[in-house]
Amino acid sequence: MSKVQVSFEWLSGCSGCEMSIVDLHERLLDVLDAIEIVRLPILMDTKEYPKAQLGIVSGALRSEHDVHAAHEMRKSCDKILAFGVCAVYGGPQGAAYAHKPKELEEAVYQKNLTTRTNFIPNDGVPAMLPEGVRPLDSEIDVDLYLPGCPPHAYYVAQALKAILEGTVPEFGSHNVCFRCRRTMQPSEVVALRRSHDGPVAGDTCFLSQGILCMGSVTLDRCLAPCPQHGTACTGCAGPSENIIQEPHIDIRTEIANRMSRMTRIKREVIIQEMERRSKTYYAYAMASPVFRQKPTFLLRRWIEQGGA
Amino acid sequence: MGRTIVVNPVTRIEGHAKIDVEIDDADQVVAARLHVLEFRGFEKFVEGMQVELMPTLTTRICGTCPHAHHLVAAKCVDAVFGAAPPLAALLQRQLLNAGSIIHSHAIHFFALAGPDLLLGIGAAPADRNIVSLLRAEPDLAKRALRLRSLGQKIAEVVGGRGTHPITAIAGGMAAPIDQDKLGQLRTMATEALDLARIALDAGKSVLSSRSELIELLPLSSYDLGTVNNDVWDLYDGNLRLCAPDGKTAAEVTSTQYRDVMVEEANAFSYSKRVLFKLGGTEVDYRVGPLARLNACGKLPTPAAQAELEEFRTRFGHPTHQVVLNHYARLIELLACAELAVKLCNDPELTSTSIQTQPTHGPKSAIAHVEAPRGVLIHDYEVDDQGLIHKANFLVATQHNISSIDKTLRLAAERFWKKPEAEFVNGVEFAIRCYDPCLSCSTHQVGQMPMIVNVTRNGQVIRQVKR
Repeated sequence: MSKVQVSFEWLSGCSGCEMSIVDLHERLLDVLDAIEIVRLPILMDTKEYPKAQLGIVSGALRSEHDVHAAHEMRKSCDKILAFGVCAVYGGPQGAAYAHKPKELEEAVYQKNLTTRTNFIPNDGVPAMLPEGVRPLDSEIDVDLYLPGCPPHAYYVAQALKAILEGTVPEFGSHNVCFRCRRTMQPSEVVALRRSHDGPVAGDTCFLSQGILCMGSVTLDRCLAPCPQHGTACTGCAGPSENIIQEPHIDIRTEIANRMSRMTRIKREVIIQEMERRSKTYYAYAMASPVFRQKPTFLLRRWIEQGGA
Repeated sequence: MGRTIVVNPVTRIEGHAKIDVEIDDADQVVAARLHVLEFRGFEKFVEGMQVELMPTLTTRICGTCPHAHHLVAAKCVDAVFGAAPPLAALLQRQLLNAGSIIHSHAIHFFALAGPDLLLGIGAAPADRNIVSLLRAEPDLAKRALRLRSLGQKIAEVVGGRGTHPITAIAGGMAAPIDQDKLGQLRTMATEALDLARIALDAGKSVLSSRSELIELLPLSSYDLGTVNNDVWDLYDGNLRLCAPDGKTAAEVTSTQYRDVMVEEANAFSYSKRVLFKLGGTEVDYRVGPLARLNACGKLPTPAAQAELEEFRTRFGHPTHQVVLNHYARLIELLACAELAVKLCNDPELTSTSIQTQPTHGPKSAIAHVEAPRGVLIHDYEVDDQGLIHKANFLVATQHNISSIDKTLRLAAERFWKKPEAEFVNGVEFAIRCYDPCLSCSTHQVGQMPMIVNVTRNGQVIRQVKR
């Protein structure tokens, strides 16, 4: 069997996605046997864009360079896989959506606690996109998606296997709750609480305990490590399929519905809290059109009004 | 006519970069600069976020050393809520850190620097990678990959995830280590210790046979590293600045960093550099494995300490050969593996008393840890709601930017007239001694395209691009 040629490109991200491929551990050598890597910037000295059957792109579009690289990948690869939450949903730097590019630069270079210079680098550095951050499919056609921050090696292996067999990898039909062993149960909790407000019960759903957990609206691309290790899901893999497919369903309304039925906390209170703290609860997918296309999603206004 | 050489992109370092080399009319190199071309703006993103999100959100600054960001952010939130972690939580965090450093140092030595050292700087670009290394040195390369896996798996068992861990929270850790996990950790740490020994011996034999390589890039410099009562420590302690002659020039706590460190932007790069205020002057300095070994009195574990003594006997103390960063990294690898075994044998590690409850409302906090590549500082100003009002991150590669530029100049002098491939990889080799993570230095990541421009009087006279 001839090897599948794979080309990698890495846009604005953190290298965690690349690491998740190395985290195939023992299976990595089998994968390397089945594919021919023609381009991998972090490990190989090839700098052009050779032809490949599969292009794996991680990271979001942040600069003009990223846009150029995305098109080069599209031209040189038969199929493009958007790999990781940044490529699929914009990722944490999607928070740039909440600010003007100028504000971001000012915070780092001009209004910074320990920086004494007072200018923004402008000599030969690539310009940032005026709209902040965009996911990959806002610029080029994407054939396959593998969200996750990063996707767990279990899902990386599953996706690569599907692609090598010529089928489409699963996008993620389950949410994080699917693998969580905590029990949802009615409670008399009357107010929202944060994770540091007293001990957290180890076997009860966070929502039952009044703690906002994103598990029910987040794709399982991780095998649900957070709730299994005593911490609430922060939504890093991006919104689940029902959120994407239904224009009237948003993560705040979905969580508020669930939580208000299980506790004595009012639905409106939960929605209001998530809007006030939208930078926290939409941290990984703020730049995604999935949200912007929802008529009631007013993130910029919430941030302005709530201070966050 | 002065000229500039630009190398863009630099592969095999995490992030994006470009290199400029400026020469004068007599063909002497007068300056060399690394340009970092990516910018994300995490300091601004996090404004308004709940501070308890920081230990998981800031891991996304870097996928190679997320554990360091996770731990320094956790140390900050401990202080934000006045919740000093119990002993078991501290032991867990140190084990998480040891696993992380094993993973990061192993992947750097074998996947990033290994091809240079084992295959040679002159090897063809297409062959100078981990795949070729697997072919040329299959046993060693597989063991190295195994060692990296063990480090990452240790980090995963303790941290809940390998990449982007989750368990360190305000006041301690969120999950105890049960007997099942302990068994896994012990087995992995023991194997990692064997492999770290093999890796160090292999690295030493390569470097020993190539003394011209060791002496390729001498750079006298200040060194900054963390010491806990004079002992090398990656999790906690004072920041010690060691002068080029080895004397301690300053020793400060993390919270004093604003008094002693000052950042400066460069028009040509998204990465800021950092200077240390020393009396009336300001000095640049190096961080990372070599700096830590130079700055400490001793290492905490016996085998690594013996290696440090041999290292100091052979190369002096302090030593300023930048290439010895690779050697120092392997000694640290051994120290972390020994530390992992030791922590696994500590009966307190499995205690279920792992979290302290907050003792006060949110207050601003500053903390630091040693990331694989050097000193990492997080600084959060928070409001009374526990929301980030202002944040500041000083990452390892930023501290190293001045030293990287000076080392680049040395490499450019040596290589700029050489054939294209050797020239480009020569300057890349210089950069890779620092294992720079440009993801971190601009708090963002990307591919590493590379251009070297050679300019004379502002005119580009040679451009090497890959």
